[in-house]
Amino acid sequence: MLAARGNNGRWLVVCSFGSLSNNQNMSYSKEDALSKARNDLAKRLGVKEQDVREGSVEETDFPDTSLGAGSDDEMSGQMITRGWRIKLQANNRTYEYRADRNQVRLYDFKGKNFLL
Amino acid sequence: MNRNNFLIHIALAVVLVLVAAFAGQLRRWQKEYKTRVRIIPAEEKTRRATTTAEVSEIEARTLTVPEVLVKFKPGVSESTIRSITAKFNDRVEDSIESVRGLEAIDDLDNADAVQTAAAYLALPEVEYAEPNYEISIEDLESNPVRPSDPRFTDQWALANDGQRGGTQGADISAMAAWSVTTGDDDIVIAVLDSGVDYTHSDLQNNIWQRPANVPKYVDDAAGTIQDLQGYNAITNDADPMDENGHGTHCAGIIGAEGGNDIGITGVNWKVRIMPLKFMNAGGFGTTKDAIEAINYVIDRKNKGVNVRVISASWGSTNRSQALEDVIKKAYEAGILFVAAAGNASTDNDRRPHYPSNYDVGNVISVAALDRNDQLASFSNWGAKHVAIAAPGAEILSTWLGDEYEEKSGTSMATPFVAGVAALIAANEPRISVDELRKRVVTSVDKLDSLKSKVASGGRINAAKALGAQ
Repeated sequence: MLAARGNNGRWLVVCSFGSLSNNQNMSYSKEDALSKARNDLAKRLGVKEQDVREGSVEETDFPDTSLGAGSDDEMSGQMITRGWRIKLQANNRTYEYRADRNQVRLYDFKGKNFLL
Repeated sequence: MNRNNFLIHIALAVVLVLVAAFAGQLRRWQKEYKTRVRIIPAEEKTRRATTTAEVSEIEARTLTVPEVLVKFKPGVSESTIRSITAKFNDRVEDSIESVRGLEAIDDLDNADAVQTAAAYLALPEVEYAEPNYEISIEDLESNPVRPSDPRFTDQWALANDGQRGGTQGADISAMAAWSVTTGDDDIVIAVLDSGVDYTHSDLQNNIWQRPANVPKYVDDAAGTIQDLQGYNAITNDADPMDENGHGTHCAGIIGAEGGNDIGITGVNWKVRIMPLKFMNAGGFGTTKDAIEAINYVIDRKNKGVNVRVISASWGSTNRSQALEDVIKKAYEAGILFVAAAGNASTDNDRRPHYPSNYDVGNVISVAALDRNDQLASFSNWGAKHVAIAAPGAEILSTWLGDEYEEKSGTSMATPFVAGVAALIAANEPRISVDELRKRVVTSVDKLDSLKSKVASGGRINAAKALGAQ
């Protein structure tokens, strides 16, 4: 992301989004995935991270390589994939994240899935 | 001698002659018709069969199958042959008229046929001798072939002998199929996936290499690509190295090198796998990149590469007209498209899964079975939109890092069907894509568990597909 101030005094911010491949260079541990999920939820809800409580983290099998939480226009391998189902609580609601060593996803947030 | 004595002597002589003649005729009858009646030599009267066991023994002697076939050299007389067989306590059961000197010999001691043949072979009068092998209908139809790969015993999908609680015979009949063909490196099968680890020791000899007479791939956006062994649609370059493992696993099911004393064997011992990468290290990709990869395959086919099958172990519930259109183009190019039915445990007739649900003439949708011929708990089904089932649970195959892993999914079932299609093409190079699809989906073992679940009602049978059953 690049930020610059124009002649009119306004800031210009340029964002460059990498390909799906570039986002997947990191290898997540369970703790990494939990941390990323809490950080993400806090930002989405506009709350402090300490207000996001860990509900549960369970190891489980998902139906495909997108962990059953594929985004629009996404194709995934039809292979049973082991990962973690992470449940976080904030604002009296429970939110579900799904993760494996390759990815962290938010499942069914306002009807949609998101790849972090 | 007075007259009465003379007449008595004549009468006795006549009677003796008649008795002798009658005895000789009885021997001939016994030999020709193998009756139970035999002239019992005087010295054997005390040993006449009186028990059931002895009668059975006599019957067995007269009705037994000859153990050995012996060819005596030219010039060995019949009397010499009988003398030799008598010394071995054998007898000539039959003479083969069309081959002079060839005798079917019955070993009355019922010794081992191999040893008996060896004893005859040691004689100077014998040209050759061999056991009288039993030929069964199964032998006439097929001669099951077993690969030397050390982990073949773990590949229940190819040969299920009930290992780990499985059901014997719940497999794709690969060993019988291999009596017809083990594949051919003239057949190219495109694995459209997360790429393939083309350095894996059990895959490297079955990876497609662009022939010198096929021009490099030209992409409108990227220009000329030095595609030596496949294509990466994500980065639009020539390196389809797998970073996830999924594609490598599927490739191994199709064509891990067979009979190389390493790891496992694929459905095809020998084949050319064309790696196409459109899914990333996470195992997912975009529709656009899938289309680009299929476009590459069609281009290579049009440039003379014998690509016969695309194996597509991926999908979603999102329908794409663009993707359907390019699959139709692959159909027009004569390429079969085998796709996973999905793992949501749902009915694809009610909740479509793509690309397996596209109604295009080259598409075969595949459900997954477990090692007991039951629909896998995760597998989608569809009496109309899922064509066939194949093993897809606890499947051992190649993985990253020169390793092997067991995985489950309709992803795993799909390459078994794609692999069988490649075997058919290897055996019948001129078969059309329509005939190929028809042969695959009609060559099944019907299963009760698949009734009203898949259109064919059955599990892929590779041997039937090749006419070996």
